[in-house]
Amino acid sequence: MKDKLVNWAIWIGILVIFLLIIIIFSLSVGPTDIPFKKFISLIFKGKGSVEYSVLFDIRIPRILLGFAIGGALSLAGVILQGLFRNPLVEPYTLGISGGAVLGVCLNIVFQLDKNLGIISLPFSGFLGAILIILLVYSLSIKRGILKINELLLIGVMLSFILSSLNMLIMAVSHIQDLQGVIFWIMGSLAEPNWFLIKLMFFVSILGLLFSYLFCHALNALSLGEEEALHLGINVEITKRLLFILASLLTGFSVSIAGIIGFVGLAVPHFMRNLIGNDYRILLISSFLSGAGFLILCDTLARTIILPLELPVGVITGILGGSIFIYIISKKQIKL
Amino acid sequence: MKRCVILTTILLTTIFASFVFSLSSPQRIISLGPYITEEIYLLDAQDKLVGCTVYCRRPPDAEKKEKVGTVIQINTEKILTLKPDLVIATALTQKKDIEKLKKIGIKVIEFPSPKNFNEICNQFLELGKILDRYDLAENIVQKAKAKVLEIKRKTKNLAKVKVFVEVGSNPLFTITGDSFVNDFIEFSGGINIAKDAKTGIYSREAVLKENPDVIIIATMGILADKEKEIWKKYENLNAVKNNRIYIIDAYKLCSPTPVSFVETLEELVNILHFNYER
Repeated sequence: MKDKLVNWAIWIGILVIFLLIIIIFSLSVGPTDIPFKKFISLIFKGKGSVEYSVLFDIRIPRILLGFAIGGALSLAGVILQGLFRNPLVEPYTLGISGGAVLGVCLNIVFQLDKNLGIISLPFSGFLGAILIILLVYSLSIKRGILKINELLLIGVMLSFILSSLNMLIMAVSHIQDLQGVIFWIMGSLAEPNWFLIKLMFFVSILGLLFSYLFCHALNALSLGEEEALHLGINVEITKRLLFILASLLTGFSVSIAGIIGFVGLAVPHFMRNLIGNDYRILLISSFLSGAGFLILCDTLARTIILPLELPVGVITGILGGSIFIYIISKKQIKL
Repeated sequence: MKRCVILTTILLTTIFASFVFSLSSPQRIISLGPYITEEIYLLDAQDKLVGCTVYCRRPPDAEKKEKVGTVIQINTEKILTLKPDLVIATALTQKKDIEKLKKIGIKVIEFPSPKNFNEICNQFLELGKILDRYDLAENIVQKAKAKVLEIKRKTKNLAKVKVFVEVGSNPLFTITGDSFVNDFIEFSGGINIAKDAKTGIYSREAVLKENPDVIIIATMGILADKEKEIWKKYENLNAVKNNRIYIIDAYKLCSPTPVSFVETLEELVNILHFNYER
C-alpha cells in the first residue's frame, strides 16, 4: 500500500512538473517572445508596456481557460468511460455538445447576440446543453432505474438528431450568421470575458473535488453494476450523480469554448495505459494531463504558422490522434 | 417614421463620430479586410497603415505591410505588439476577437458588409472622415457615382438579361438581393434570378427553371473551370446554348471599393450586352 502511495505521489509530481513546463513555454512564446527571465521584472515594473499586456491580457487568460477546459473535459471523459464501461464514450457522445450548438445557432439566427451582446452566446449554449442533459436523463429512467445502456443509445441518437437540426438551421440562415456559428463550433480558448474564465476555472476544480467522492464507487463499478451493489455501493445514486457531474462539466466547457475534440477521449486512455485503472489516481492524473495537453495544443495552434492562428481543435485532433494510434499499435493495451 | 428615426440616428452618430475623430485622427491603423486596405491606399493614408491581413494583396504594396492573420482569424497578440490606435474590423472578424481588443483598450471600428453601392460609398466617406481625408474621399465618391449614373443611363434602354451569379459550389451558392453584388447586376442592365431568394443556397433545378441568359462564376481557384463544365451539360440553358458562362475574379466581385465597383461594373456591362470575352 505504501509503495502504491509513493508511486502515485511520484506520478502526480511528474505531471505537475510537465504542466508547469508547458505553462512557462506557453507564457513565453508567441509573436513577441518573452524570455522566462523577464517575467519577474515584467510583473513588478512592466505595467503599461506591450509585453505586460500580451502576458496578462492574452496569454494568461488563455492558459487559465485551457487548464480549466482541458481538465474538465478529460475528467468528464474518464467518468463517462467508467460509468458506461465503454472505451469509446467521450464527453460529446451524449449529445450535450449538440444541445449547446443548437442553443448557440438559435441565438445567432434570431440575432439575440446583437441585442444582448456576445455574452449571451455561452448562456444560450449552456441552456441548450442543460435541456439535452435533462432530456437524455429523463428518457433513460425506467421504473426508478437509470438504464446505462439506454442512456448511451438515446444520447447517441439525440446527438445525431441535433446535428441534423443544426445543419437545417445553418442551411436556411444568412451567410453572415453562418460564419459566427461555424467559428463557435470550431472552438477557441480566446475568451475575452474574465468572468467566464474564472467561472470555468472554479467549476472544473469543484468538479475534480466532487469526483473524488466517487473514486471508490467508480472502482467498484468497473467490476459491473451488480458487483458494485454487493460491495455496498448505492449504485443508483452514484450513476445519476456521476452522469450529472460529467454532463455539467461538458456543458460548461462546450458553452464557453466551443467544441474542442479529442481531449476527453484520448487523454483518459493515455492515463489508463500509463498509470493504471485505479480511479483514485486516474481522476487527478487525467485532469492534470488534460489541462497540460490542451494548453500545449493551444500554444502550438497560435504559434505554429505565425501570424496566423489555427483553431485549437486542429492540433488536439492531429496530435492527440497520432499519439493515441502510436501507443495502441506499439503496445497491446487493454481498453 | 421609422426611416426618420434611422436617419437621425445615423446623422447623430456621424456628428458624434466626426467630433471624436476630429480630436485625434489615428496614426497607426490596422485593417482587417482587403477592401478596407484598398480604400486606405485610395485615400493616400497608407503610411498610417501598420498592419493588414494576408488576404490584403491589392495594391501590391499592401503585401509588404505586417500581417496580422486572415480576414476571419486574427492574431490578437500580433495586433497588440504593433501598438495600433485604431483597428478597422469587418463583418467577418470574430466578435470574440473584437471584444478582446476593446478590453485591452484598443479602439475598434466595425464596418458591416455593405448591402448596396450606396453603402459602399457611405463607408468610404466614413473612412475618409476617420483618416482625416474627407475631401479626397468625397471627390472619389462623386466621380464614382457620376460614372455609375452614366452606366445606368447607358444600360437603361438595353434589353434586360437574366443572370445567375455563382459564388460557391456544393452547395450551389448565389447572391441575393441584400448584397451589393445585386447592384452590379441591376446597374449593368441584368436581372438577378436569385434576387428574392431568402438565403444564398440555391438549387440547380431552380436555375434550370429560371433559365438565365448569362451565368457568372466568381473564381474559386480551379473549381470555377470545373463548374463551367458542369453547367455545360445542361444544353437547354440559354447561357449554355449561347456559350455565355463567364468566370470573373472574386476579388473584383466580392470586395469592392467605390473605384473598383465602377471598374467591375464596366466589365459586367461588356459581359452582359456586348458578349465580351475575357
